[in-house]
Amino acid sequence: MWQYIIRRLLQAIPTLLGVSIIIFFVFALTPGDYVDTNIQLTPEKAHELKVLYGLDKPIIERYFIWLGNVMKGDFGFSLQFQKPVTSLLNDYIWNSFLIAIVSLILTWTIAILIGVYSALKKYSWFDVLVTLGVFAAMSFPSFFLGLLLIKFFAVDLKWLPVGGMTYGGSNSTGMAYVLEVLKHMILPVSVLTMLSVGSLTRYFRANMLDVIRQDFVRTARAKGLKERVVIFKHALRNASLPAITLLGFELPGLFAGAIITEKIFAWPGVGHIHMQALDNRDYTVLMGFTMFLAILTVLGNLLADIFYSVADPRIRLK
Amino acid sequence: MNNKLKLVPALLLSLSLVLSACGGAQDSASNTAGQSATTDTKSAEAPAAVKDGIFKATDMSKNPEAAKNRKDTFIVGLTEPEGVFNPYFYHNGYDGNASDAMFASLIDYDKNGKQVPGLAESWDVSPDNLTYTFHLRKGLKYSDGSPVTADDVAFTLTILHDKSYDGEFDITPAHIKGGQEYKEGKASSIEGIKVIDPLTIQITTTEVNARTLGLISGPVLSKAYYGKNYKQGDLSYIRTLHSKPMGAGPYKLDKFIPGQEVRYVANPYYYKGKPAIEHFIYKVSTPDTNLQMFQAGETDYDGFTANAENFEQLQSLGFANVNVYTASNYAYLDINHKKPYLQDKRVRQALAYGLNRQQIVDTNYQGYATVANIPASTVSWAYTDDVNKYEYNPEKAKQLLDEAGWKVGADGIREKDGKKLTITWLGTKSSMTDILVPIATENYKEIGIQFQPEIMDFNALLTKREQGDYDLASLSTSILLDPSDGVEGFTTKMADNGYSDPKVDELYQKSISTLDINERKKIYTELFKYLNDDLPVIFFFNRKVMSATNGRIHGLEPNSYTGISGDLAKLTIEN
Repeated sequence: MWQYIIRRLLQAIPTLLGVSIIIFFVFALTPGDYVDTNIQLTPEKAHELKVLYGLDKPIIERYFIWLGNVMKGDFGFSLQFQKPVTSLLNDYIWNSFLIAIVSLILTWTIAILIGVYSALKKYSWFDVLVTLGVFAAMSFPSFFLGLLLIKFFAVDLKWLPVGGMTYGGSNSTGMAYVLEVLKHMILPVSVLTMLSVGSLTRYFRANMLDVIRQDFVRTARAKGLKERVVIFKHALRNASLPAITLLGFELPGLFAGAIITEKIFAWPGVGHIHMQALDNRDYTVLMGFTMFLAILTVLGNLLADIFYSVADPRIRLK
Repeated sequence: MNNKLKLVPALLLSLSLVLSACGGAQDSASNTAGQSATTDTKSAEAPAAVKDGIFKATDMSKNPEAAKNRKDTFIVGLTEPEGVFNPYFYHNGYDGNASDAMFASLIDYDKNGKQVPGLAESWDVSPDNLTYTFHLRKGLKYSDGSPVTADDVAFTLTILHDKSYDGEFDITPAHIKGGQEYKEGKASSIEGIKVIDPLTIQITTTEVNARTLGLISGPVLSKAYYGKNYKQGDLSYIRTLHSKPMGAGPYKLDKFIPGQEVRYVANPYYYKGKPAIEHFIYKVSTPDTNLQMFQAGETDYDGFTANAENFEQLQSLGFANVNVYTASNYAYLDINHKKPYLQDKRVRQALAYGLNRQQIVDTNYQGYATVANIPASTVSWAYTDDVNKYEYNPEKAKQLLDEAGWKVGADGIREKDGKKLTITWLGTKSSMTDILVPIATENYKEIGIQFQPEIMDFNALLTKREQGDYDLASLSTSILLDPSDGVEGFTTKMADNGYSDPKVDELYQKSISTLDINERKKIYTELFKYLNDDLPVIFFFNRKVMSATNGRIHGLEPNSYTGISGDLAKLTIEN
């Protein structure tokens, strides 16, 4: 097992190197750079800044400078935020993580419950209505859903705040602070959950339908086990196996930030930063952040494989 | 003032607080979706131009509790402060807004863009217009209680000349004597900067330039605070101070919460007296929902896209003072003068006559913008109305094209020497683009020009433009403090569209070579008339800016030049 993990980690190195080459060149070759975004600079001033920022060097050289620094653990300095990239991401990424993890837990819980239930009551009224509901929620664009919720709950009913993470000028601490943040989280988390719950529900429903038709479920029932045990112990476990892989893929998503949702609710997440960095061609931030997500993707895959072998003893890692 | 002048994609963004806040090329998205529809269908027809002014709140009883309960805090919505709180180092205009509250300048601007005393009580210019002497007020203090002296002014101007200075403020046009030598490391101080006594400083320049005074009279940085570790040629230490700014402005930083708020408290040492409102906050808002935030009382002030829908909605709130004022910038369609067929003045004029600018502007802005014909805003002191209006006239356009030798071909498109007249236009995604494209396609087709729109992201547009791969491009200038800012881009040295005209160069030089405002006004009138005829670009429109203030805040009169920062210190809250 340990051997397997170490081998997989070593294999990740060339993968990440390849990824870094691709994303560096994709970003570097997008038209315009950080200095170009301000075209009222005189040509001399613009050139001066390019030299100071190292943007005048050939692209290959810039890549190796970047790579060399990363090897030393230095992800560079954001031109736009005038801050090291790592500390910049640290400022914002946990806010994104907060709403992502809560919505992930909600999504999975709801999806499993609904998925299992509609599989058991296949083609019932409940199944039809739920299917309709989740598809409807899924097909709304997130900005529309967000604006709609804001109108109902924040503007008309005044139950919840329009946006942000705390009230302006709030100095609350301890429990009061937690409650305040929770209140601000409700709308963005609802939007994220509504958007992702649909596909997952369908996934669980399909898997469940597959499994309950199989022989071992019939055997379990024949043994006289309670229906509840049959469904949740025998059927659901087997139906969940493929979902582990899916869960592994969620790992980078937890930190990626939801650009549109965060923007609408003025949530101080990393999605903002990503967009800003792209608009301003702030390469170090783009590179640092994308690489971070790439690492998480590789890691998520590995974790999924490991958990899979734990959950299903038939699979052996070599 | 050191507002960086940036080009912004024409009409991007619901101009935030002040025009200087032009952070980049965010898409302006659909900022009214989801609100109750108050669409004014009449507005599709030509609406009358809206007048500038403040439309007072009508029913303060509608003020939401959230706002009423805030007794000593003024909250302003701001799109994206990033935490670089130094007037000479920020890249994003929102950080410029955030810095304005904390730093004070030698000279301020009033609502007409005229220079008025700030930290400097008065200033003299020598008869040869080369030497400037500033007299500081007595007893000035920074927010930490330390004195503001002429040494600080000298320090500020010195670091702007440092070779490691990597901010975007460009001091070189001021031509301070010895500045270049300092930058190159040939001198250890700048010859032209002379501290006479703690309250007097003299700046000697080598060229007369009307813009110099503006460049050298900006915010003052404390030498004791920002210059402790300064060695010539190395400013890197200053980065650590961007998050801990210290200046002589009305407010001082309390706390910056990334992505959420910039919190300030009143500066007790402010030279015009401590502000009456103890707490001031810039709260992050987004153009998508800032109206809802304002409506719910979570903010006291914010800027909105100026159009009839937003105006009606804000007025119907009852508790909002709605401010409408004309921006100091102008939007234009850039012309690529490297294309031989666009070097012909008649073709350029035909492009102007042949496009129904009035219709486009009215449809998009519903009266909140006017068609421009010169490179200046209607609020500028140099503005003149006495120019060719280029009213939509397809017959005139056709005639000009005929004269220029472009003959209508078999497919209705004009040709000359076997080449078809096709105009490629570059624009960014915006509501303006949605309106311009169909109208321009139709208008130009009528006069025998094939119009080819290309829509892309702003940086891509700039790059395409730099490569010369276009005919027209929608652009807009940013805040224009001095009339010269609006025409500098047409001089041979600065024009990146290939335009070059000795007469323009000469008039431009003349316009900045005197400091006499009446003399300058005459020169600008001549220059504007010339440019209006020669059309280095197609002038497009001057737009208005709309913002709203919660009615319980008194004393706020936002304007095109200083936004809200000029009024911050004198605001009061009615409880």
